[in-house]
Amino acid sequence: MSRVIIRRLTKAYDSVTAVTGVDLEVAEGEFVSILGPSGCGKTTTLRCVAGLEIPTGGRILFGDTEVTALPPERRSIGMVFQNYALFPHLTVRRNIAFGLEMRGVRGAKAARRVADVMEMVQLPGMAHRYPRQLSGGQQQRVALARALVVEPSVLLLDEPLANLDAKLRDEMRFFIRSLQKRVGITTLYVTHDQAEAMTMSDRIVVMFDGTIHQIGTPEEIYHRPADRQVAEFIGSSNLIAGRVAEVREGYVTLETAVGMIVCRAGHRPAAGEQAMALIRPEAAELSREANAGSFAGRIVACHFLGNLIDYDIVLGDDTTHRVQTLGETLYAVGDEIAVSVPEEKAWLLSK
Amino acid sequence: MAAQQVGPRNATWLLGLPGAAAVIIFVIVPYINIAVMSFRVSSPSRAYDPGFTLDNYARTLGDPLYLGVLWDTVSLAVIVAVVSLVLGFPVAFFLARTRSRWQSLLYALVLSPLLVGVVIRSFGWIVLLANNGVINQLLGMVGIGPLGLMYNRLGVTIGLVHVFLPFMILPIMNAVQSIDPRFEEAARTLGASERRAFFRVVLPLSMPGIQSGAILVFVLAASAYVVPELLGGGRVMTTPTFVMQQLLGTFLWPFGAALALVLSATTLILIWLFTLLTKPVMRGLT
Amino acid sequence: MRRFPLWLLVFVALVYVFLLTPIVVVVATSVNAGYYLAFPPSGFSLRWYAAFFNSPSFMTALVLSLEVAGVAAFFAALIGTPAAMAYVRSRGPFREPFRLLLLSPLVLPEILTAIALLFFFNLFFSGLRSLVPLVIGHTVLIVPFVFLTVTSALYNMPAQVDEAARTLGATPGRVFFRVTLPLIKSGIIAGTMLAFIISFDNVTMSLLLKAIGTSTLPIQLFDYLRLDFDPTAAAAASISVVFTLGIVVIIDRMFGLRALRF
Repeated sequence: MSRVIIRRLTKAYDSVTAVTGVDLEVAEGEFVSILGPSGCGKTTTLRCVAGLEIPTGGRILFGDTEVTALPPERRSIGMVFQNYALFPHLTVRRNIAFGLEMRGVRGAKAARRVADVMEMVQLPGMAHRYPRQLSGGQQQRVALARALVVEPSVLLLDEPLANLDAKLRDEMRFFIRSLQKRVGITTLYVTHDQAEAMTMSDRIVVMFDGTIHQIGTPEEIYHRPADRQVAEFIGSSNLIAGRVAEVREGYVTLETAVGMIVCRAGHRPAAGEQAMALIRPEAAELSREANAGSFAGRIVACHFLGNLIDYDIVLGDDTTHRVQTLGETLYAVGDEIAVSVPEEKAWLLSK
Repeated sequence: MAAQQVGPRNATWLLGLPGAAAVIIFVIVPYINIAVMSFRVSSPSRAYDPGFTLDNYARTLGDPLYLGVLWDTVSLAVIVAVVSLVLGFPVAFFLARTRSRWQSLLYALVLSPLLVGVVIRSFGWIVLLANNGVINQLLGMVGIGPLGLMYNRLGVTIGLVHVFLPFMILPIMNAVQSIDPRFEEAARTLGASERRAFFRVVLPLSMPGIQSGAILVFVLAASAYVVPELLGGGRVMTTPTFVMQQLLGTFLWPFGAALALVLSATTLILIWLFTLLTKPVMRGLT
Repeated sequence: MRRFPLWLLVFVALVYVFLLTPIVVVVATSVNAGYYLAFPPSGFSLRWYAAFFNSPSFMTALVLSLEVAGVAAFFAALIGTPAAMAYVRSRGPFREPFRLLLLSPLVLPEILTAIALLFFFNLFFSGLRSLVPLVIGHTVLIVPFVFLTVTSALYNMPAQVDEAARTLGATPGRVFFRVTLPLIKSGIIAGTMLAFIISFDNVTMSLLLKAIGTSTLPIQLFDYLRLDFDPTAAAAASISVVFTLGIVVIIDRMFGLRALRF
């Protein structure tokens, strides 16, 4: 196991810059996801760590060893590809043994390690099948086993769940996470699926347009996003623009078209500055009676989601927002209601 | 993200070096050589006399005999391409759309003639078309003939169509196969009859295949040597047979070179015109 | 199940008759007891085959054809396979020109290429005293077939398996021999077999580049048909057909005909 340190990583192709100045440290045994829309540079970053791309600038270290210019075969990594990239001409057993063979591990010792890892990923009796004879989930497990059997210092996963159906994806999410914890391997996981990143990671790196916008725990990313782009990419969000009226320690009062909103803030804006309040749909509370600090609104749509009720609400400034509540449907379309936001539930974003 | 790259790739192009070298030395350089040679002075006793001249081209383009041969060749190639298209399109369409379990056999049967030598196929046509050949003997039984089916343009046309038909069928088949049958279904739901759906959807969408098939057959037919030689029996003169006669018979190399290049240039110009003419039909397809 | 109009099926059937009759006729002629144009056939006989195998000129030609096709196909595979890899795996401005270059022997009129090579060998080398010009001519002519077939085999390789092998510790050389080669092997074999057939059947290139006084089987046939002929030629042709079709069947059984690229 080792730490992964990425310093000022830049990767440019002929005319496009895919990654600019990425700084990241992954601690030993940590599970870090790189999350972002397609084309944000997350896969390029991962491929640089793997040695499949040579960075244009910056350095990559595994522990104290500089690996920036090392070819992939000399990096002690295990990688799982989006389409698994299993060797179609080799059986499951020989696929898994490939990395051992490359390291000169053969015979009984290799056989034992292959058997062990196959047990670990729960693939009994599949040793002599060919990849095309396996289901997607089984192929996924073979790919994991193949990457892990060589006991790499770093595990790299490139959207490994993207090709699975929804149910299997949930299952594999927890499987991979628990396997990772058991093995204790430093893991870098690339995905565009926020739910995946949320449920699996110790920390999440959010990338847009080749740069990192935020690094933080899932809670931090969700509740205290660094900027509007991060806020809108993760979950759904209601944004209300306004002007900073008052600044207290950790709190900011925003004057908006619908009323005053007290937000928590990660920075100290100047009074009078333009800013935005982020209110997650489940953070707002609805009631029939107006109370101090609540805004008036009208329900324009109502969707039953099973565990949640999802309301579209038009506020006084004619903007539509989304509020989710637990429990039963209490309001109907057309109802005039009061919306209140507890002050620790709103988050200030600079404009 | 789609970029396939394993590590530093600087050395991969080296793998292409032997191939590139072979083609440059043994194709490109020889072509440059004949291009140069076509400006040389012909000599009856050796490869060429010293000095450069435009005479070979002047002779080729100025003499009605050579221009006649050129015209015969080009018109023959056009006829062969058109006949191949008429015969080939239905077969290509059928092969692309059939669900028959014989489909792969039928495909192999189109491909196989391509792999049987052109001499052998010409041989077959000689047996069929000769004055005392199979067809004339059959006709003779009902009191017709013998008809002159061979050693004339008819025989050569039949032979060339036969030899190059697969080159028409295969690209059209690929084009039709890549047309989603749902396009036709969509046209039908929009009120087009089966016929109209074919003419308004399938035919226009298969134009890229028709274009490449037509170009291929035209080029091959215009530069074919074996079939005109065997089925024309020396009585049908095309540029390739004529060039070979000049080269092997008279050894007027520079003149032969000029003649061959004029044919190739003519072919290229015609292909260019053809692509220009079909451009409006191809819009959005390539 | 798609239904075709009857006229289309009849038309297609007639085109197939047109495509196949000449080949069937050649084979039928070769087993005809009488002289070749005798129709209807006058009985079954293998005497023309006996004549073929007893004819020194046909046998020499057959052996020469096999030799030339074998050597040319070998070199074409040796050159064409790495060329396909270079094309598929490289990026950059020379990629498409490189492909065009490799395909040029297929695109340029064969007769012109043959004439160009004839002049080339006569001017710069000692002319046509050995088999070298013929083998070179055939090799450049058939390289595109190997190149195309291997290129498509490389494109059909599952994505990223080579990268996966690298991440598992394989050097580029081992990736080639352990992963890439096994996966494109069938493409290489199919392409080489196709190249062999094309060379074996070639007339135009051989006619211009053969060493003086030698002759390949197609040329022997060509001369036979131009001058005077007897059914020995039909026997020779039939053997050639059976041989070619045999290879086609092998390719089809092993890899499917669609592995081939024209």
